[in-house]
Parts: sequence; C-alpha cells; structure tokens
Amino acid sequence: MKRRVFLSLPLTAAALRAQKIDDPFLEAMAAELSRSMQLKIAGETPYFIEYSVEDGANMTCIASLGGLIQSVASPYRIPRVQLRVGSYEFDNSNAVFTGQVRGARFDTGRWPLEYNRQQIQQELWLATDRAYKSAVQEFTLKKSALQNVTLSEKLNDFAKQEKVTKLLPPAKPKPDEKKWNDVARRLSQTFASYPKILESRIDVEESSSTFYLANTEGSMVRVPETVVSIRARAEAYAADGSTVRNHRFFHAFSLDSLPPEAEMKREIDAMAKQVTALADAPLGEAYTGPILFESQAAGQLFYQLFGSQLQAMRDPVSVPGRPVNMPPSDLESRLGSRVLPETFDVIDDPDAKFNGRPLFGHSEVDFQGVPTQKAVLVEKGTMKTLLYTRQPVRGHEGSTGHGRLPGAFGHAAAVPTNLVVTARESVSREELRKKFMDIVAQRRKPYGIVVRRLDYPSSASATELRRLAGSGGGGGKVVSLPLEIVRVYPDGREEAIRGVRFRGVNTRLLRDIVATGNDAAPFEFLLNTAPLALMGAGGYVVGSSITCPSLLFDEMELERPSEERPRPPVVPPPPLDSGI
Amino acid sequence: MQPHSLVVALPALLLCGLRAAEAPKLVEILGAELNRNFESLKTKADPPAYYLAYTVTDDEVVSMEATSGLLAAKDKRHSRILDVTLRLGTPKLDNYHRQPRDFAQFTRGSGVSLDDNGNALRRRIWLDTDAVYRAASQRLTNIKTNTQVKVEETDRSDDFSNADAAVDFQKIPELKYDEKKWAGHLRDWSKKISAHGDILASQVSFQAQREIKTFVNSEGTRLQHGRTFARVVISARSKAFDGMDLATAETIEADEPGRLPSEKKIDAAVDKVIADLRGLLKAQEVDPFVGPAILSGRAAGVFFHEIFGHRIEGHRQKDESEGQTFTKRVNQSVLPDFLSVYFDPTIKRYADEDLYGWYSYDDEGVKGRRVSVVEKGILKTFLLSRSPIAGFPNSNGHGRRQAGHEIVARQSNLIVHSDKQVSTPKLRELLIEEIKKQNKPYGLYFESVTGGFTTTGRQGLQAFTVIPLVVYKVFADGRPDELIRGADIVGTPLASFAKIAATSDRAEVFNGYCGAESGSVPVSAASPALLVSEIEIQRKNRSQERPPLLPRPRSEGGL
Repeated sequence: MKRRVFLSLPLTAAALRAQKIDDPFLEAMAAELSRSMQLKIAGETPYFIEYSVEDGANMTCIASLGGLIQSVASPYRIPRVQLRVGSYEFDNSNAVFTGQVRGARFDTGRWPLEYNRQQIQQELWLATDRAYKSAVQEFTLKKSALQNVTLSEKLNDFAKQEKVTKLLPPAKPKPDEKKWNDVARRLSQTFASYPKILESRIDVEESSSTFYLANTEGSMVRVPETVVSIRARAEAYAADGSTVRNHRFFHAFSLDSLPPEAEMKREIDAMAKQVTALADAPLGEAYTGPILFESQAAGQLFYQLFGSQLQAMRDPVSVPGRPVNMPPSDLESRLGSRVLPETFDVIDDPDAKFNGRPLFGHSEVDFQGVPTQKAVLVEKGTMKTLLYTRQPVRGHEGSTGHGRLPGAFGHAAAVPTNLVVTARESVSREELRKKFMDIVAQRRKPYGIVVRRLDYPSSASATELRRLAGSGGGGGKVVSLPLEIVRVYPDGREEAIRGVRFRGVNTRLLRDIVATGNDAAPFEFLLNTAPLALMGAGGYVVGSSITCPSLLFDEMELERPSEERPRPPVVPPPPLDSGI
Repeated sequence: MQPHSLVVALPALLLCGLRAAEAPKLVEILGAELNRNFESLKTKADPPAYYLAYTVTDDEVVSMEATSGLLAAKDKRHSRILDVTLRLGTPKLDNYHRQPRDFAQFTRGSGVSLDDNGNALRRRIWLDTDAVYRAASQRLTNIKTNTQVKVEETDRSDDFSNADAAVDFQKIPELKYDEKKWAGHLRDWSKKISAHGDILASQVSFQAQREIKTFVNSEGTRLQHGRTFARVVISARSKAFDGMDLATAETIEADEPGRLPSEKKIDAAVDKVIADLRGLLKAQEVDPFVGPAILSGRAAGVFFHEIFGHRIEGHRQKDESEGQTFTKRVNQSVLPDFLSVYFDPTIKRYADEDLYGWYSYDDEGVKGRRVSVVEKGILKTFLLSRSPIAGFPNSNGHGRRQAGHEIVARQSNLIVHSDKQVSTPKLRELLIEEIKKQNKPYGLYFESVTGGFTTTGRQGLQAFTVIPLVVYKVFADGRPDELIRGADIVGTPLASFAKIAATSDRAEVFNGYCGAESGSVPVSAASPALLVSEIEIQRKNRSQERPPLLPRPRSEGGL
C-alpha cells in the first residue's frame, strides 16, 4: 500500500445511512459483491468477499551524470479480490495452501483506463469466480491436512470488523514528466564535479492513486494516496578496492511539497563530498565500547530492532510432517515486560506531526480497509501492545488498522506508521557528548565511536546484501551498515572510518541505553517487505517514519569483516568533462 | 593463425577518414571510449583482450490495448541498452569457447543515458567493460584448464572468425502513427468481440517500435542502423463446457504503422477470431490420430522454423550437449528433393507481406546476406555468426541477439521454395486421395498455429510440438470440414520431413518473435501449404475447471 494523505471527517452512523455512494467503482463493486455471495459448490459458500482497486499513475525517472536513463509514466488500475469460505472461526486462510491454488484466468488483472460499469462488473465476476474456486480447494486441502493432527492452540482465522465508511475525494495525478526529467538531470549533474565517485544516480518517483475498497461487511472506502520520493546515491572505490557509498532521500506527499531544488542540490553536494573523503578514510578496527548514535542513526537503528518486531507471527497449517515455523517476534514474548529503560515511551501515531507537518507514515485506513489507530506500544519502558491486522494471533484478536502491506497466508503484514520515541529524561547535545566522552575516558579507550547515518533503507547491491544476511554474528540480528561513522578522540578531533559493521546487536540492547538527547527529529522513509527495506525493492511500499532522540549505548561491538576486495580496474576511469 | 588485429587494421585505417565527417555523436562517444578501454586491455591486462565491441540498442515502443470497447492500456517507452562483447586470449581459444551446458553470459545489458551525454555514457561503458573483463578472464582460465583435462572435442574450429570492417550510418525514420485513430479502431474492434457473451476475455492491441542499433568494435566497424515494426494483435479466450481453455488470435505485421493493412482487412481478421473461437467452443475434442494432413502456409512456416531452422543454427553443431541432427549431413539429403530452403535477411517483403526478419547488419556488425541452406533437398550450410564451425570458417550474417544477451546464430527470414507446386484445390484433392489410400476416416487441415517449441539438446527427446489454433477434419466422402479442438502436433524432425508429399503454389508468411539462448529476436517464415502423408496429433493437456458458475453480470441489475 502506499500512504494515505487526506484527513477525513468523521461520519456518524446516521450520516452513513443517509449518504448515497455515488461512486462508479464502489457501485460496481457493491453490485457484484451481493451477486457473488450466491456462489456455491460442494456445499461451500463465501462468508466474506472484499474488492479493492488502486486507480492511479506512476512516474519514474532515473538520471546519472546529467543523462536521463529512464523515464516512464504509466497509469494503472489494479484490482484485488479476496474471498473466504468457511467461517470467521475456520476458513481457507492461515494455511500453506492459501494463495497457492491457481486456475485459468480470464480476468485481466488490470482494469481498463476508461470506465464502464459493465466491464468492471465483468472483471470482478471473472476474478471472483477464480478466487472462489481456489478458496474452496484451499479449504479442502486445509481440512484434510488437519485430519491427522491437532493444533496446539485454537485461534480463529479472521477477526470480525465493524463496517467502515470513509469516502475522501479521489487523487488527481498529473505528473509533469518533462519537468521532473530535467530536475533529475540537473541533480545528477552534481556528481560530475566529483571524479572519485564512480557510480551515481538520481531516482525520482511519484505514485499517485486512489484506493477503493468494498466488502461484504458493508465497508466502503475511498482514500487518495500519493508518495513522492527523490533518492540520490553515490559510490566510490577506496584504494584497496572496497566500495564506499552514501545516499540521501527526499520525500513528500506531492511533488510540489518537496524541498526546493537548490536545497536538495546542496545536500547531494555535501553527500558527494563526504563519499569522496570516505574513499581515503582509514579502515576501522574491531571495537567494544560506548557508541553514540546521533538522532537519525538512532532512529534507523531503533526502527530495525524495534519497529520490525511489532507483528506477532502465527504458524500456518501445513502439510503433516512438514511444519512451517514463522520467525517469532522478539517483542511478542516480552509483552508486559521491560524492553527499554524506564524513562522511555513509544507510540505509533498515524496522525503524528512534526513542526505542524503530518509525518510520512500518515495512514487513514490500512490494506484491509480498517482505520489506523494510535497505539501506545511502550509505557515507562514496559511493552504494552503490538500492532495488529485482522489475523487473530495468540492473545489478541482485532485489527488496529496496521495491516499496511500484503502479508502471508491470506493476511496483511502489520507495519508501523509513525513511531515516536520519547524519553522523560534527556540532555542537550553538548551534555550528551560530554557524557559520552566521560565514559570513553573512564574505559580508557583511545577514542569513542559516533554514528550519524546507517544504510537504511539499504542501498546495498544484491551480492553485498547476501553477504550481510549471513553476518548476524555474536547472537545478533542483521542490521544495516553504518555509512557515516567517526572516531572521536579525547581532544574532540573527529576521524571518519569505513569498512566496519555492528556485531551482536539485538532488541535487548535497547535496555542498555545510558543517556538520551533532547534533539528528537523524524526520519522518514519508504518501507517495503524486502530485507533491510532494500531501496526500490518490493511491489508495495508504504511511507513510515520514526522520531527518535540521540541515543548513547554503554557498550556495543564493531567488527571489521574480512571480505574479498576486487582488484582495481585495469583501465583507469574516464575523465569527466564539465559540460554535458 | 595470424594475430587477429593485424588482419583488420588496414581496412579500419582506410575507413577512418570516411567516417570523421558524418559519424553521429553516439558513435563518436562509443568509439572513443572503446579505443581507450581496448588500448589498456590489449596491452596492460593479463590475459589480454584481442577484440572489443559495444552495442547500444535504442528502442522506442508505443502500445495501446483495448478490451470491450474501452482503452485498457497505453504505454510509451524509450530505452537504451548497452552490450559489451570482450574477447580475451586468441581467436583460436577465447572466453566464448563453447562448453557443454555452460552458456557464456558476460554482457550485463545495462540501461544507459537516453541523452547523448558523454559523462554518463562513458562511466557506464567503463564500469560494464570492467565487469565483463573480470567475468571473461575467469571463464577463460576455467576453459584452459578444462581443455587439458577433457578429451579432445569433435569440432576443433576456432572460437572467432575474421570479418570485414564496415562503416555505415543510416537514418531511421521516426515512428509515425495517428494515436487517436488507432485508439478509436481498437475500441471498435474490441467492442465487436465483447458483444459475444460466450467469449470470456478478449484484447485488441496496436504496437509500433523503432529500434536503432549503434555498433562499434575494435576492428574499426562503426555502424548505426535499425528499422521500425508495427503490429496489430487480436485475441480472444474462453472456456468450453468441459473445462478446456480455448484461445484464438490473429496477428498482422508491417514494417511501419502506415503499412498496416486497411481497416476493412483488420476488421475481417476480428470477425475471424470471433468465428473461430465460437466454432471451437462448439467443436468436438480431438482423438489421438495419425494420418495425412495439409499444413497451411503459415502453419508450415512455423513447422519449418521449429523443426528445421533451430537445428541448423551454427553454434549447435559444435556444442557437445546438442542433438546435432544435421551436423554430419552436409551434402546429404535432408528434405524431399523438390524442396529448397534459404534464409534471407535482405528481403523486406515476400508474397505481398512485410517481413519481420530483415536487417541490414547482424549484431556482430556483419552485413546480412542470403544463405541457401538446402538446395533441392541437399543440406549445404548452416546459419553462422562469427563463431566458426568445422568446414564453415566465416560468418554469414546471422549472429543475433536481444539486447542484454550474448550472440549466437539465429534465423532471419526463412523461405521454403518448392518445385512440386500444385494449386490449392488440387492439393486438397491429393489429400483426399491420400485419405482413401491409407483407408483413414478423415485427414486434417491445420489452418493456423500459435507457435511451437522444440528441444535440440541430447538430454531429452529430439522432438517438437507445434500448437495449432484452428484445425479441421477433412472427410473423403464430401462431407463439409469439421472444426476440432485440443490437438497438438508432435513428432521427430527427420521422420517428419520425409513425409512431405507436395506443396501448394501460394506462399504465406508467419511473422513473430523467436526465443532462444540469445533472447527474443524478430523472425519470419514463409512457405507454401504442405501435404504431409502422415502427421501425429496428441490431446492437449487441459484444465478440469468448470466455466464461471454465476451468469455474466448485467449492470442494470446493480445496487
């Protein structure tokens, strides 16, 4: 799902009844929903059907060193049909068979760009027929798999949901492709002044659409959603053949609300300078000691350790003798226990604002049409709740409207909107830095480590990502690499280093935060389901953010992975000319 | 063997003066970066490079599709793909040396700047050349070890042959088409199909493409050439009462949108798609059958493309894992003596139709030329890229690829010529005679096919399948022909050719895209209709699923 933008007016039940739908998509959906409830073979009838469609347009342009590499603008209408047979207690979902049965397909999977009610209903008719036949087969497979096994706990398959009516004005995408092609060209030209940067690119993406949803529980949803992003990436080779890189993101709810071009150019230029300098920086060494994460890096780390663990997983019914175990959430087993220092609170707030501006994780309703609710996740350091979809899990049934991305086995994946981390006790930047240097001195370390930016969402190449995936050494999770990391010497001198990664990092680390800054600032990004939220990956993206102050950890480990480094190229790089 | 670069240095020098004045900017940028990279890789690298080529394939594609009278999709794409070909070692043994079951893939097919921007292009070219060099040097080391460990190969020919350098810059016409007009037609045609309630899905699409290839190599070749394509595809699908999925389609191709046939002609094709599908929905399912048949000219074209064409692609003759049906049959009879087959990428039209398989230069910069493969039934040669095979040391201009893939020998315009032609009614009479002679209840007429596939490897059967769309039973007793459904033609190549008895006097053209190791390339196959004394059909694997359970919705019965 893409994020949702506009705020809605709350409608009372009476207002709903009085209101005529008057939306061609939703009317066609409603008509076909009631017809489809008559489907019946082998005694099975649907108990729940949901239709949704995303009607919008995508624009992507990519440029490098002033040359446009790609520019595509394409309108689309992508429907989705979900159909359940059985009952809320026991249906065709939550099994390895869910989504695996596919029959002949006569619906096109893309609705025409021109509207005609007859055609929409015909598409829905064919797609529902296919979904129904698949659901009946999945249901049969699931029932037969359960003939010879008993489940350790009995959970319902689908949580009931009150009817939702939310009809906001549709989005009106009209990207100015030519204009943004030129912006991409100009921004990418920045790197032409930095000969040490060997690969660089600018990606401009706009996705503007309206999400329509109707289901047999009576819900009707129409919400506009627009996501705009500009990504700048640069990579250089150090003399030893290893690569160094960095990136910048700019995100907004519309192309017009991006920062001014000059400001983006300034930031990209600063990044280019940093990458150039990093190519000559010394390799870091193994380190155990205090590490200070400044606000953005602190948010990036916190999100990976905490934000990604907020969904309680449920094992699907599988083929007997071949159980499928979903990776458990680190936080689920700690519900009611302390996960952070007692001074910490964490909320997930779809309506959170920063300086009066709604944050990038803003959400009206989720992928399942459920309004997104604010959740108090941690209170005084104690884990209070997780984020939920309509999938019942151990100890909880009922959605909090966080099913924002497609998930497994007929369900959505629960992901955060805007995480807001606050500490009741915090100190100024200067004090925090002093505290940090005091610990460094106490431990008699020659230097301390300050982290300013992590590679999250990741810009790693596929091979690097694979290498990283196998690196969760020391009983830790795989976390992204530090991109901007410096040694700070007792005299205050800073020295950038490269080629190190964290070791043995996991959720428990968060309990050992020793001090917190008063400098919380939001880090906003596009989340997807790929490992380390790999940039540009995944069919679905959703805006998300974390607002987190600088965090000082008493003790963390860094290691220098022994990795193969390619020999430098035989041919020297081509010289850059200043013009085009 | 003399060092390769010496052989070609002279023509390259002579051509330099000619090209300076008129080379397009992209050629200049590619050429300069090629010289810079090649100079270092030839002198400083170990193993050294002896050949380097860059290709930029610039593609502009516009497409529109309609369904049920509504415009369903509209797309415009422009891309430029860079391919790097780098040969290390010597022409005798280089990094492309064929190894069983190990297809060399070096080029990365990176997207490059659509603007002729020097900085952007040079950086990408340099990075990709470096990546290709690393992969190529690694493979060459493996090959050198393997050649020492393994028994000597049957075909000891070189890995790369000489070719003349060429310099040619062509102007490729802009794509011209009336978007409004085509959108209107597509709506009308698709509406006509959807008016039939028994058809579940249908599309009518229009596509136009302009492809410009810019090629430079270290032998001095500097080319910019290309062409345009246009195509209308009409397709319809449905499900028979017993669950069988049925589809019919017509495709109409031309060199450019302006050369597509009249509305009336396309309209007739739409009617045919409807009539064929509705006929098939009512038709009987076929029983497995062996007996005489006629293949229409288009069906015969596909038949030859699959069964014959793929087996005479040069590289298959030196790959020890290939079936090599024809490798040892040069100067022997492989087809009936009244048939000749040639490939000709230089002809743009045949039998009043535009061809998809023409080009002026192949993807190794070798000029396209006519190749007579079979003369009066006797196999004469193979389709060749610059990878020579025993007895055939030079390219005949058939080294082809889709951008992003490695080059191998591929087909162009396949033309079947017959010396035993009879009129179409006479061919039918001969079929009926054959049915009676063989004492069969009926024979078959294959009117159209969608395409087919074949396995040429040693592992697996040396067999082919051709997938017919529209097939009729032809009865000897004068009953009208009867449409049947669910048949696949199966067979083995050598046995099938022996059974061609006669041909019609009217050639038909099949245009399409052929997929193989080097990707998808546009090809044509033209043939007269064939009378075959024996063909085998098997039942198609089919769906067991029921047709839609609920009746088609009617929007007035809405909320």
